[in-house]
Amino acid sequence: MFDLIIRSLTQRKMRTGLTIFGIALGIFAVVVMDGMSEHMNLVVDRSLKLMADNIQVQPDGTLGGIGSLDESKVRQVKRVPGVQDAHGVLIASLDPEGGGGFGGGDMVFGVLPEKQLKDAKLAAGRYLVPGDGYRAVIGSSIARKFNLKVGDELEIKSKRMQRTSSITSTRNVSVVGILEYTGSIFDSAVQMPLDRAQKFYGMENTVSFIYAKPAPGADPEELAKRIELSVEKVKSESPDTLRKMFQGQLVIFSLITISAAMLAAIIGGLSVMNTMLMSVSERTKEFGLLKALGAERKSILFMTMGEAAFMGVIGGIAGIAAGWITVYFLNSVFLSSQGSALFSITPRLAAVALLFAMVLGIVCGTYPAYRATKMSPMEALRYE
Amino acid sequence: MSENGNNDNGREPILRIRNLTKTYMQGKIPVHALNDVSFEVKKGELISIVGPSGSGKSTLLSMIGLLDRPTGGSVFIEGKEITKANEGEAPKIRREKIGFVFQHFNLLPSLTAFENVDIAMRFSGIPRSRRKERATELLTQIGLGDRLKHRPSELSGGQQQRVSIARAMANHPAIILADEPTGAVDTKTREIIVGILKELSEKGQTILVVTHDMEVAGQTDRIITMRDGRIARDTESDMK
Repeated sequence: MFDLIIRSLTQRKMRTGLTIFGIALGIFAVVVMDGMSEHMNLVVDRSLKLMADNIQVQPDGTLGGIGSLDESKVRQVKRVPGVQDAHGVLIASLDPEGGGGFGGGDMVFGVLPEKQLKDAKLAAGRYLVPGDGYRAVIGSSIARKFNLKVGDELEIKSKRMQRTSSITSTRNVSVVGILEYTGSIFDSAVQMPLDRAQKFYGMENTVSFIYAKPAPGADPEELAKRIELSVEKVKSESPDTLRKMFQGQLVIFSLITISAAMLAAIIGGLSVMNTMLMSVSERTKEFGLLKALGAERKSILFMTMGEAAFMGVIGGIAGIAAGWITVYFLNSVFLSSQGSALFSITPRLAAVALLFAMVLGIVCGTYPAYRATKMSPMEALRYE
Repeated sequence: MSENGNNDNGREPILRIRNLTKTYMQGKIPVHALNDVSFEVKKGELISIVGPSGSGKSTLLSMIGLLDRPTGGSVFIEGKEITKANEGEAPKIRREKIGFVFQHFNLLPSLTAFENVDIAMRFSGIPRSRRKERATELLTQIGLGDRLKHRPSELSGGQQQRVSIARAMANHPAIILADEPTGAVDTKTREIIVGILKELSEKGQTILVVTHDMEVAGQTDRIITMRDGRIARDTESDMK
């Protein structure tokens, strides 16, 4: 039966080709848009993994942005029963004039050298050590973007408002270490000693976040609540809450990208339906003949739906291939200009896209197939 | 010609038609396409059904071939009432008991002569090797052994009709129903087609031919003449 399906499709090459192109275009959109969403998911996932099980403490009333906390709060957090350790981190934009760009842009993290991120391996150089001055460990994207090696200088900028004008100051920091690619926000991060960062950004005794490490056996959820009760004007998020928060934000992003892609794919699906309706109408006599020859309804159904599914699968494969090539090309462009990739095509995404293409083909082929099976053989044979 | 209402020549009837009626509604007016038609056909008979346009010849063939359902009456093939078959049973009866030959051949244009014969056996679940053997044998028998891979567009009208006959024969049907099989071919080809039908009949194949052509009818064993949905005359041909 499969050979009949292929025969029927190849007999109408132009129409079949255009329909497959329609599906491929839709699946291409699904792959590229979802590739972006998938990449964001991966970045958040890996970033949260690197942050380990720390509770994030920030000023109360901060909504998504970066606030500032008095450093004395670090000591207060440390005193909360169940907290094993706590440290503050100051976060600033590497280039306040340059805008965020995709994924929030490049950031400077002021950290205590002994608390710096050590789960990420070094590709070159060393980690920060106590006593380091204006020295930095940079992420792989920063190194690539600014073409930096260990020993090179990186310019950091700060922008301060004074009355009605803003003053921008710059300073060079020496790169002492470069991290391996992590696929997280730390690829776009510059880690430098906290005290120097506070001084440079004019934020002495101030931190943006406090990270509290729960003592063994302490429940992070309960501890987060206890910190909020014990320390004034802070809110704290457990790793789970943080994960849910990020995922919630990503869901909206994913919904927007997936909806746009689905729309494109559904248009592709409608082209399958249109093609199949035309095909069924043209082949009325053929179906009548097949019935006269003893074909059962399920055989006719299988043939017509098989054609639609086949076009869906071929369109899906073509769309995934085109999407993969495009994403590969765009990623290399972004890697050279921004230092980081923007899309990720995972096997899961490819499988979902292919399945979606096939289901789309089958669903859109169902009605035409139903019409084909409904015809009375005599009427179909008389059809001109 | 001699009157032959009973056709009692010693053979068992392979087809029995009992009080068959078919009424269409043309707006609010009922049209009796078939009106109490009854007759029997013995195995191996070559019968022609003649009559003016609208007399019910093709409607009768559609009822016997289960392409349409009668309003009343019964059709029995090999003793089994096929008019009672439901939608699920009808395809099996069509492929096992009936072979169709159409005026305009109705071959699938994208398939070769061989594949057009083969497709009739596919729905019966016959293994590929047996189908290949049977299709080749049938096409060779009707003189198209060298045209197996030709598509309908590469065959003459007569050759296409011969492929159509081979297709009708593929599943060893009880009856072949031929609707104007010579209606779209020239005189010379007509003789070839009729010759093939006669040969098949002589080998025991039962064939009902609807035709306008009295030359064709005259070469069959029996002529049923229809008028206004009824059998006007049922005679044995003495011209065969």
